[in-house]
Amino acid sequence: MSEFLIRNAYVIDPLSGIKGEIMDIAIRNGRIAEEVGSNAEVIDADHCLTLPGGIDSHSHVCGTKVNFGRYMSPEDMRAGRTARKGVMHVTSGYSVPTTFGNSYRYSVMGYTTVLEGAMAPLEARHTHEEFTATPHQDMLANTLFDGNWSIMEAVREKDMKRAAAVVAWTLSAVKGFAIKLTNPGGTEAWGWGEDVHSIQDQVPHFGVTPAEIIQTMIRANELLNLPHSVHLHCNALGVPGNYRTTLDTIDLVPDLNDKRQSLYLTHLQFHSYGGSTWKDISSKSEDIARAVNNKPAVAIDMGQIMFGRTTTMTADGPMEFKLYMLHHNKWSNHDVELETGSGIIPVYYSRKSLVNCVMWAIGIELALLVKDPWRCMLSTDNPNGAPFVKYPEIIALLMSRRFRENEIALLDPRTAHYVPLPAIDRELDWYDIAVMTRAGQAKALGITGIGKGYLAPGAEADIAIYPLKPESLDPSAEYQQVMAGFGKTRYTIKRGRVVARDGDVVVEGANSTIWTRSTVPPGYDLSVDPEFMKKFEQYYTIRMSNYPVQDVYLPRGICIPTEASL
Amino acid sequence: MRVILRTKPRKKPFIPIEAETIIPQNFLRKNDVRVYEGNKERRLEEIFYITTEGPAVSPDQVEIVLSGETGNIKRVGEYMNAGRIVVEGDIGMHCGNFMSAGEIVIKGNADAWLGREMRGGTIRCEGNAGHYCAAGYRGEKRGMRGGLVEVMGSAGDFTAEYLCGGEVRIHGDCGDLPGVEMRGGNLTIGGHCHRPCGNMTGGTCMVFGRVHDMLPTFRGAGNEEREYRGQRCQMMLYKGDAANRGKGSLLVKNIEQDGLSPKKK
Repeated sequence: MSEFLIRNAYVIDPLSGIKGEIMDIAIRNGRIAEEVGSNAEVIDADHCLTLPGGIDSHSHVCGTKVNFGRYMSPEDMRAGRTARKGVMHVTSGYSVPTTFGNSYRYSVMGYTTVLEGAMAPLEARHTHEEFTATPHQDMLANTLFDGNWSIMEAVREKDMKRAAAVVAWTLSAVKGFAIKLTNPGGTEAWGWGEDVHSIQDQVPHFGVTPAEIIQTMIRANELLNLPHSVHLHCNALGVPGNYRTTLDTIDLVPDLNDKRQSLYLTHLQFHSYGGSTWKDISSKSEDIARAVNNKPAVAIDMGQIMFGRTTTMTADGPMEFKLYMLHHNKWSNHDVELETGSGIIPVYYSRKSLVNCVMWAIGIELALLVKDPWRCMLSTDNPNGAPFVKYPEIIALLMSRRFRENEIALLDPRTAHYVPLPAIDRELDWYDIAVMTRAGQAKALGITGIGKGYLAPGAEADIAIYPLKPESLDPSAEYQQVMAGFGKTRYTIKRGRVVARDGDVVVEGANSTIWTRSTVPPGYDLSVDPEFMKKFEQYYTIRMSNYPVQDVYLPRGICIPTEASL
Repeated sequence: MRVILRTKPRKKPFIPIEAETIIPQNFLRKNDVRVYEGNKERRLEEIFYITTEGPAVSPDQVEIVLSGETGNIKRVGEYMNAGRIVVEGDIGMHCGNFMSAGEIVIKGNADAWLGREMRGGTIRCEGNAGHYCAAGYRGEKRGMRGGLVEVMGSAGDFTAEYLCGGEVRIHGDCGDLPGVEMRGGNLTIGGHCHRPCGNMTGGTCMVFGRVHDMLPTFRGAGNEEREYRGQRCQMMLYKGDAANRGKGSLLVKNIEQDGLSPKKK
């Protein structure tokens, strides 16, 4: 029986309503306990900032497209090499590191749970294998349904229950966690060399619109009572003037769930552009933030970009083709039969590029203008906006106006004409940051029920102790310390075990994969539905019996069961 | 300063040695130079008999001589930026990766990836070179960017792939697909080769032997006279690769179409 006692911790635990108190935390058998015996091992936190383990609600760290990013970029692999050290494996890579590289770097930053933003169902086995090799974080996989033929047929027939049945079968077959829609309809259109430009465009050969797909999926998601809402990457990503599409999408959202949002809009920075061409791109973060503030049924994440080299990868194939036409460098395009696709290109975000400066400002503006931190998560859409190792810098930017001013001074001087950022005074406090990096995510993903994101007795003992003393540190002035502190925990504790100390990972990890299974009434069980089986055998290149991911791929799976109200 | 490294007999001579540390700038001071034998880190003395002659005050004055069983030593001269390396026998893969200045002379044969993505300097190989001589690595869009690679013998497949600057001279034959994806620089092939310059967008390739299976996506653009080793040759000039809207020049002396499958040497 392992017991720990963390003494003198400066705790911020938003889900339990603790806003900075000095307290002790007792841990027994991987869970937070009321108290422990006198033999418990004691960690003296010395008034350092102690938070629940970090949760990243949108990141691309595992799966086939991440892997393609690795092997298309030998220069990236050379960029971040670390040697073997203690229990740590050799790692390499900067924007798309090896799985161990991802795991160690997250762990050192205090992150204990990561959601892979897009898993192609047909290629789920590979994603789960990489999850197993990302040993220090509990992993969740958003499953792509954006171009799923069965879904689009159900949408065309206006059969919401059928759509729910397809989701239920697919999620339990591929051990996915939630529904991800990436440019709904657009990836399917890209199979015909086309794209959809607004939510009212028709998807070729299916006669459905993105708006219909989104609305049906939001309702189907609630029929299944899934823990997370629909996770949406809007249409028209990265197109100047796309903020109208985003506003139209926010307008569609009904409020169906009183525990969490009904729609999660991811990397909204890429969807908040005004103007009509790259030459007059401007920030529409104010309009978007106002719409989000007025609509409690949506939650967003920032999708902040940071300057430097990175790799963009998304299931949004047509968007990556447009980027390729800008850069003419490497490009990968991938089609997953009947389901989705993807594209990957390496990029460099430069302070000399006005477009990049505007993008940089928009992400920060969204985080500052959305009033409720519970509905705006901190993310870079790793690695699309920047590798996640830049999170501490983003936290510092949000907490310090002075830091922002210093950074703005380095940008293209025209930037100020296109963005409202220089006029925004708000500085986030420690509580806001705690919400935006863990509590908000736990609530939005609906994983508080399994003990994630808080530190009350009964919760999973995932804890991050940062070498920051909020009682004496002024983040507005001493932003460098904030950055350094959030970059390297003193202790990262995962399920009651110290996994990282002062920048080094100290144990071999053993993570879990969290997935959902919805029990549906017999009439909606597609594994015995003759029509579905016939179509599957007709159109897929693999047999339906070979499609589900076997349990052996999830050595420590945690299933969240739900009862569908069909 | 002259550093002579003669290989010691090894128990397992087939285990390759990763020797990216063998570059002149590392020998200027009495640095502790280490190499890997398989996954074991070794001090240089464990692998070589070392003799040092004379002084040096800058890396330019350092010459490293490698002799003995050197065919299994990889990555010699990686990121080298000054000085000279002489290899008395054969050398392993990745010799002269990313080198930016200095000179490497190989008296024997070189294995694959000789001078990969090099930026400058000179590599002369008196024997044959393996596949991917002076090429870019898999996934890299820009291969060799400057300098000179000269091979007196033959080279393998994918010679000068992704070449975008500098000069490559192969005096013997090349294998399949030399100069593919070329976007700059000069490639000269003294002997025969198969299917040169697919997808090229820039640069100049000259083949003074016979081209087997010329790709159909090159447009004829007249004749030109070029000189090779003191002889003036009448060459046919082609522009391409039209499949990639390329503006490269391919000059060939003879063409022979003998079916699509390249003959293996």
